[in-house]
Amino acid sequence: MTATTGPDERQDMSRTSMVRLEAIAKAYGDHQVLTDVSLSVASGSVTALIGPSGAGKSTLLRCINLLERPDSGTIEVDGDLLDLGHRVPAKDLAALRRRVGMVFQSFNLFPHLTVLRNISLPQERVLGRSRSEADARSRELLERVGLADKAEQHPSRCSGGQQQRIAIARALALDPQVMLFDEPTSALDPELGLEVLAVMRELAAEGMTMIVVTHEMQFARDVSDHLVVMADGRIIEDGDPRQIMSDPTHERTRQFLRAVLER
Amino acid sequence: MDVLRALVSGVPLTLGVTACAFVLGAVLAVPVLLMLRSRVLGVRVLARVAVDLVRGIPPVVWLFILYFGVTFGGWQFSAFNAAVVGLGIISAAYLTEIYRGALRGIHVGQWEAGQALGLSGMTMFRSIIGPQAWRIALPTVATYAISLLKDSSIASVIGVTDVMFNATAETRQGENGLVVLGIAAAVYIVLSVPLAVVSRMLDARMRAAVAR
Repeated sequence: MTATTGPDERQDMSRTSMVRLEAIAKAYGDHQVLTDVSLSVASGSVTALIGPSGAGKSTLLRCINLLERPDSGTIEVDGDLLDLGHRVPAKDLAALRRRVGMVFQSFNLFPHLTVLRNISLPQERVLGRSRSEADARSRELLERVGLADKAEQHPSRCSGGQQQRIAIARALALDPQVMLFDEPTSALDPELGLEVLAVMRELAAEGMTMIVVTHEMQFARDVSDHLVVMADGRIIEDGDPRQIMSDPTHERTRQFLRAVLER
Repeated sequence: MDVLRALVSGVPLTLGVTACAFVLGAVLAVPVLLMLRSRVLGVRVLARVAVDLVRGIPPVVWLFILYFGVTFGGWQFSAFNAAVVGLGIISAAYLTEIYRGALRGIHVGQWEAGQALGLSGMTMFRSIIGPQAWRIALPTVATYAISLLKDSSIASVIGVTDVMFNATAETRQGENGLVVLGIAAAVYIVLSVPLAVVSRMLDARMRAAVAR
């Protein structure tokens, strides 16, 4: 969990885009949550999505796997284009979600299943793996997130940080091409957040394409190689994290960074 | 002793009406629940009206309607069937509401996690939502089953020879009403208390399993 590829080394990686959003718009009634949002995320990159609360970060993230339906725009994941102005066929929705893993702020493990079943059941039902195949993969992933000994327990017996690492393992078990993280450490004590961030750093080092809504500025600066700042349903800055953090072009970004960094 | 024997001879029918009506209601409540949660407004309204209508009519009226009112040519319900169908329909209405409450008790994150993982609706229902809803619903369902056991005594008015029917008959034959009905009460208690105990044990076991 120590070796982390720095952003600089990763610049050389192939920059084909893994996720591309074009002109995404979303309104709840009169309230425009997302306005003309376009974003391209390179394969193997780590994108940090930051901004004040209510900026639409989580909504945008949830649009990528269509937990939220945008009113218009297109989403392209690994070359497959979905036009959201039309009804998305169930088959395309399933294909999209198969490629995109998601980790939630509140973990959302299944409380009535053991840790092992939490990770194995989706593999069996979604990928058609056999029970033994799925269990083997689950144990391997539990090992990786440092929780091999928790396999037979129920989630309620695990700490928040452990539950979040299990949730990461559950998402990874389906071999996604992109991982979405929706404020993965916000519900955790700082100390427990660290163990989750460590797993995420490792994942980033392995070249997983990640999009992370976060308030962890250190993670955004040290691990991400792409920073996106949102405010009022729009992307106001999009580029190199260190560049933006040291010299933001937008007054709104400056304000926000001052607020979070001075805490 | 003869009185007790007479009342106990009604136990199989009391249990039979209760069990059949409960199973009918528990099964019937599932499609009604799905209708209540339908995307189509008309379907929701239909289900809502049906549930309120069924619950708004007293059980004894239902049984009379089914037993005396429903005939097709020469066919009509036997007393037992009328009791089962009547109490079954009423149970369905109540159990629909109980199921609905249980579903509401499940965190929205459970649905979202399932969706994000790409689980099918069927898998969600059978493996994720169903088992959790069942745990939430169990104590209330058991309470309903116990009240149904007692309410099944209403079947005696259309001639189902259950515990209550035999109690009434014994009283009419000149036995001391207080004694007979006291025994009837005791029989119902003996039947319902184990139900309560079993449901509490199940509940405790499921809680322990999750907290392991």
